[in-house]
Amino acid sequence: MNYSSLTLQYFETAPGAGVLSGPGVYRGAAGGRAQGTWVQFDVQVDAGTLQAARFLAFGCPHTIAVSAWVAEQAAGHEVRASLPESVQSLSERFEVPVEKRGRLLIIEDAWHAALAAALQRPLSSSPADPMV
Amino acid sequence: MKRPVYLDYAATTPVDPRVAAAMARCLTLEGEFGNPASASHDYGEAARRLVETARVQVAASVGALPEEVVWTSGATEANNLAIFGIAEYYREHGRHIVTARTEHKAVLDPCRELERRGWRVTYLTPGPGGVIHADQVAAALREDTVLVSIMHVNNEIGVIQDIEGIGAICAKHGGARLHVDAAQSVGKCAVDFKRFGVDLMSLSAHKVYGPKGVGALLVRRGRGSPVQLAPLQFGGGQERGLRAGTVATHQVVGMGLAFALAQAAPESEAERIAMLRERLWLGLSSLGGTLRNGDARKSVPHVLNVSFEGVEGESLLAAVRRDLAVSTGSACTSTLQEPSYVLRALGRDDILSESSLRFGLGRFTGERDIDTAVSAVAGAVSLLRGISGA
Repeated sequence: MNYSSLTLQYFETAPGAGVLSGPGVYRGAAGGRAQGTWVQFDVQVDAGTLQAARFLAFGCPHTIAVSAWVAEQAAGHEVRASLPESVQSLSERFEVPVEKRGRLLIIEDAWHAALAAALQRPLSSSPADPMV
Repeated sequence: MKRPVYLDYAATTPVDPRVAAAMARCLTLEGEFGNPASASHDYGEAARRLVETARVQVAASVGALPEEVVWTSGATEANNLAIFGIAEYYREHGRHIVTARTEHKAVLDPCRELERRGWRVTYLTPGPGGVIHADQVAAALREDTVLVSIMHVNNEIGVIQDIEGIGAICAKHGGARLHVDAAQSVGKCAVDFKRFGVDLMSLSAHKVYGPKGVGALLVRRGRGSPVQLAPLQFGGGQERGLRAGTVATHQVVGMGLAFALAQAAPESEAERIAMLRERLWLGLSSLGGTLRNGDARKSVPHVLNVSFEGVEGESLLAAVRRDLAVSTGSACTSTLQEPSYVLRALGRDDILSESSLRFGLGRFTGERDIDTAVSAVAGAVSLLRGISGA
């Protein structure tokens, strides 16, 4: 499979891979390893603003690259349970093949779960896991 | 630009320069470019002689008679000719076929097509090591079985099947012809068409440093009543009516020489490859969470298939691709990004079936290549396990 240069860049360097801990850190995850795609985000929130985000991902290069980009974009933004870009925009930015776009929905679910935990109004379908 | 280390010799091999030179001599005005079927002039006769020499070379390297060699465009066509040819010719004798879940798609897909046309197919499941036992074949045979198709060396895991044992079972049955896909065998392990007791055998040139686009189907002539086949194509009566079409002189000359060179290779070459494979496995197994697929005691030395726990297959392949040319699953199916059906048949789960790499070693593989491979895979596995929190 061929990947765009942006996808390769974020896949190979994976900025923001890892976990956060401490006060103001919230966690959300979606998907499953057994199903081939699993994503987890940790977000650090202070006074309603995202200070940092980290991710873990088990999945294809597109999954890792998009998760890394989403985590990288987070800092400085207001806490809102939405991705920095729509799934459609992300799929275009990273040239995600149509058959793999469902994996971006898993990234979105994981992000929603983390932000829902931070907003303390858990989404019923997301396994939010507050760290504090 | 530095090219990645090539460790995909099970997918294809580079053409030996001696083979390429011999082929080139069959293409131009100064060489033997004639149509081997043109009996009316020297150009055709010279080409015919080359074709027959190649036939002798291929037959000699696999213990067959020259008249048992039918040229094809490759092993896929040979498999199709064997399976559809037997099914059609013996359709009044029975419509049951026995094969294995771990066969190449070039066998499985024709079998599935025959199922759609009303034939019954029994798919044998191998043991965890990938071996189909002769008694499994014996148990699957029915009165109406007309064909058993079992590959000699598996293309994904390198496991060698007991063809001689299966041949004895089929001979005892009487009505079941034995077809063997031996595309991965020549030059890697002993192949003896006569001693194996095989009725039909598919061969490929490009796995043995020969050209792509040529292969052969061996069709037994001696040893009892000859095997009969219905042809798949018509048009000129070439190859005793079994494969119509002008024989591509340069292709079969390339295949003949490639097979002769493979037969002449010293035993020490297989030992060298085996040592390199063990060096590779030693390096990879030190990563932890690595599972070797296929029974190592019953495998050709050129193939190593390993699953890596805690990593996703497509990412693993992408992470090593700058340094290493390997494949997940077989080359013919790896674009689908699906778990290997061969590994699933061995009992591996979807994730481990997908997180496998097949390393194919060959004539130009050296210790430095192996060390590069270990380093590249170690880096990729470590990176991906870190990203996934495994």
